[in-house]
Amino acid sequence: MREQAATRELVDEAGKHVTVPTNVERVVSLAPNLTEIVYAVGAGNRLVGNTEYCNYPVEATRVAKVGDTLHPSAERILALQPQVVLVSTASQLESFTKELADHHVAVFVTDPHDLAGVFHSIQTLGDLLGEAARARMLVGNLQSRATAVEQAVSAARPVRVFYQVSERPLYTAGRDSFVTDLIRRAGGQSVTAEVPGAWPRYSDESALASEPEAIILPTGGSMGNGNIEVAEPLKRSPAALSGHVYKINDDHLNRPGPRLVEGLEALARALHPEAFKQ
Amino acid sequence: MTAIAAQTRSVVLPGRITPRRALLSCGVLLLVLLSAIALTTLVGSERLPAGQTLCALFSGGKASCGLSANQWAILFEIRLPRILLSAAVGASLASAGAGYQALLRNPLAEPYLLGISNGAAVGTMLALVFFGSVEWSRPVMAFAGALLASLAVYQLARGRAGASPERMILAGVIVTTFLSSAIVFITTLMDATRIRSFTFWLLGDLSGATSRLLLVGLIVSICGAAVLTLFARPLNLLMLGERDAFDLGVEVGRVRIIVFLTAGLLVGTSVASSGSVGYVGLVVPHLIRLSLGADNRITIPAAALAGAIFVVVADTLARTVIAPRELPVGAITALIGAPLFIYLLRRG
Repeated sequence: MREQAATRELVDEAGKHVTVPTNVERVVSLAPNLTEIVYAVGAGNRLVGNTEYCNYPVEATRVAKVGDTLHPSAERILALQPQVVLVSTASQLESFTKELADHHVAVFVTDPHDLAGVFHSIQTLGDLLGEAARARMLVGNLQSRATAVEQAVSAARPVRVFYQVSERPLYTAGRDSFVTDLIRRAGGQSVTAEVPGAWPRYSDESALASEPEAIILPTGGSMGNGNIEVAEPLKRSPAALSGHVYKINDDHLNRPGPRLVEGLEALARALHPEAFKQ
Repeated sequence: MTAIAAQTRSVVLPGRITPRRALLSCGVLLLVLLSAIALTTLVGSERLPAGQTLCALFSGGKASCGLSANQWAILFEIRLPRILLSAAVGASLASAGAGYQALLRNPLAEPYLLGISNGAAVGTMLALVFFGSVEWSRPVMAFAGALLASLAVYQLARGRAGASPERMILAGVIVTTFLSSAIVFITTLMDATRIRSFTFWLLGDLSGATSRLLLVGLIVSICGAAVLTLFARPLNLLMLGERDAFDLGVEVGRVRIIVFLTAGLLVGTSVASSGSVGYVGLVVPHLIRLSLGADNRITIPAAALAGAIFVVVADTLARTVIAPRELPVGAITALIGAPLFIYLLRRG
């Protein structure tokens, strides 16, 4: 049956060789950022399953749900007969990947660590879904918006930023997070840029000693009203005392997809309002 | 089972623990605890100058001793409260563990095995889900959860001939597994960002010490350990067997209820402020019994002090080993506790 169909081999971002059909007709996405990419490259009509967290664009909410990012149901995925399953990071899903592989479902992993990596993911998924041209246009457009932001803030002095992922316990963005790169492009310097890992649990003492000039609270999107307060050890930081605390829609900052550029624009406007006065 | 026999034997041997020896052991442990607290204030993810830090510490925070405002805040608002909370949690869990072990005549009895920690955890999680903004709802609901779990264990274990220790452990296993499923169920219903906080908290996190929670923790740990120590003599007699204890004039039912309530309060306040710090209630009383004998008049207060030392040291590792990142303290206590426990078991 499907074994007869033409296939090609790709290398995913976990470095694994993945064999996919030349014409991918049925895709399941296991992360909201991947769902957004699938729609943005114009392959939304081939998305047959996604997660509870996939709420953008609105059409994504009407697609069959296979559980959430951490607890997807293998049974439901297999019942949807996908040819490819898209996964955002490989870590928790190894046994799961094997189960899908046993049923001849290709698993494609994306793992971007910076904005360029996100653009690369978008292009790769576009290629995989046979929408290479559209993906190229999208990436070109996103790239020029990002460049415009970077040019606007290029002359400004970098602002020392604390990125608060969650208030208690205190989590931040570390060395391997695309957010650290995003802050740099927005004319900032994350005070936790050298901390190993992507989303480290951060020491209260070090947070207090870091004395950031600005604090970013990703909140108000899928986060609802979570993470709207500055963490206790940061309450007397120069940022908090001078009112440089910025709430930015977490869906624009925490999802490495096309809307990350909106996050970049919001960050830059918060850190350097003077650069955007028309 | 040989462990129980050994304990029972040492209880019947009179005069092994003299009041002088008890006082001396507790005095030494108290000194070690105070030095551990003073020394661990010198280490953390941020470097503080040792001399000035000790000077400020012994002035009770009144003199700055040349510390900058930030250093002073790190010492007195973050580090010291966290160390004191570690001590309170360690003392609570270890003395509660010693209490359960004596009451149930079972060396494996422990807040975790009996499901009481899980009860407190479920209570805290429900408080966070339904009354997230109300701080005091957490310790109250945790205590309620711990009490309900104790009550469930107690009721499940009570047969026609009274609650036997074996039935009680079995009941504890059932309550534990039931509440573990409840925890999994609640975390599954919560969104991803909150799950991350919860998984860290479930493995023990001493960083969230608000001054009120800390004060409650300290008062409860001291009073709770004192109450259990006051019941040490009837607990000693209970270790001979419930019938014997009854014949010797122990009001078995009353002692059991008071010990259960006190231990539930100790476990509930610990879990509410710091999540689940495992193995403390199991390993510490064992080590104390091995070195000081099985007389509860000394085991309970000594376990409280040693438990405090154990958690202070474990949390210092948790907050320094991969600084400025942190490890969950429960992972450290389990890494130290589990092999130690296997060693103790194999030694018989």
